[in-house]
Amino acid sequence: MFTGCGVVSGQNQHLTNNAVKSQPGLEVNKPIQFENGTNQGTNPVFQGQTYTNSVMHPEVFNSVSNLQKPAPLPVSPPAIKLGQDGFKKVCRTEEESPCPFPGLPSGVLEMRVKEGSKIRNLMGFAMARMQGEKAGSGGGADSAGLRQVVFTGSGRAVTKTITCAEIMKRKVGCLHQLTKLRYKVMKEVWESNQGGTSEMTVHRTVPSISILLSKDPLDPREPGYQPPEAFSALWEDREGAEPAAQTCKRPLGSLPHSGFSHPKKPCLGRGSFSASSSLTS
Amino acid sequence: MTEPRNPGMSSVPQINPAHTESSSPAVEMDPVEYTLRKRLPRKLPKRRNDVYVNMKTDFRAQLARCQKLLEGGGHREICVHGLGLAINRAINIALQLQASSQGALQLAANTSTVELVDDLEPEDPDEAGEPMTRTRNNSAIHIKVFYPDPQ
Repeated sequence: MFTGCGVVSGQNQHLTNNAVKSQPGLEVNKPIQFENGTNQGTNPVFQGQTYTNSVMHPEVFNSVSNLQKPAPLPVSPPAIKLGQDGFKKVCRTEEESPCPFPGLPSGVLEMRVKEGSKIRNLMGFAMARMQGEKAGSGGGADSAGLRQVVFTGSGRAVTKTITCAEIMKRKVGCLHQLTKLRYKVMKEVWESNQGGTSEMTVHRTVPSISILLSKDPLDPREPGYQPPEAFSALWEDREGAEPAAQTCKRPLGSLPHSGFSHPKKPCLGRGSFSASSSLTS
Repeated sequence: MTEPRNPGMSSVPQINPAHTESSSPAVEMDPVEYTLRKRLPRKLPKRRNDVYVNMKTDFRAQLARCQKLLEGGGHREICVHGLGLAINRAINIALQLQASSQGALQLAANTSTVELVDDLEPEDPDEAGEPMTRTRNNSAIHIKVFYPDPQ
């Protein structure tokens, strides 16, 4: 499936072609079809992990990770279809860290959100830091979060990262937000089920998000900047007329009732009222 | 995408009520807030540069539509929205657009919280259970994909 692929380099195809010639068989034909299907004009960097239910597609064989020679490659074709056949055994995942938050902060708390992280634990820790430091006038004796905190997550943890940031914004008001998106390269090492000699290193690019929350004002011209809780007012404004495009990028793009400062009841009341009016219109 | 209804966000997932007050209640997805949310895309598509991402439509199709808006439509910027599970897909689409433009495009992401209301109605009409509403919060992302102003 096209959407299920990662990066497929040209060399990869050559390697599998050689493998085909050396080892005829049904199994080996699989990658050919798969590769041909995926090898289109552009070089897509899709993330199979997010969109298909199958866990991983080890598709990229970088020249860096030349652990295998063409000989073990015939073993890998079923692995390309994914670890379910033959490569189930060991998958140690290591992450390549491109660079930290693309910017400024020096001594901030960095919260790494993983897929299995419990939001309760994350928020407990982060809130303690942020609110504890508030009393301490931000004097930087402690190495932790003072006035800024960064939430980072990649792959399946992106939604959870955003949720953590939103919860923190709700509890600690008036936080400036800066959001950055980028791709992150993850390295996974898979071993073969049968014959543990062949190893595969898979490079997978996953989308990742970094959210910086700061009590101090940030640069509004920076792309991804979001001012603190201006949503409710802006939502009302935009019902009438579009508010002027501010320097910051569309804080009004947020959907109604982020519910930051006002309780839910009035939100619902307004919501239903507007709903009925919209139905009649 | 100018559909007034179903802005294309990921469909509200079925919830499983844990309480047994209304015996085996059918989960009726009629969120009040959902209707309100549908008002929003009716305004935004006026400019036609808003794309709501969902998990039902093929990824390539959504990506192609975004590209068409940027290149053919002459819009200098488009906004990609995603709710819940579609956040990942929205981010992927935005990053893909940026990659295919060889760095000419810039991204600006905003996050927000959307309230979803579920109405629970008892399946068995004879049961005395009254319909309940439950409110949930969900995260949403709005990514602006734009050509930076030459300055």
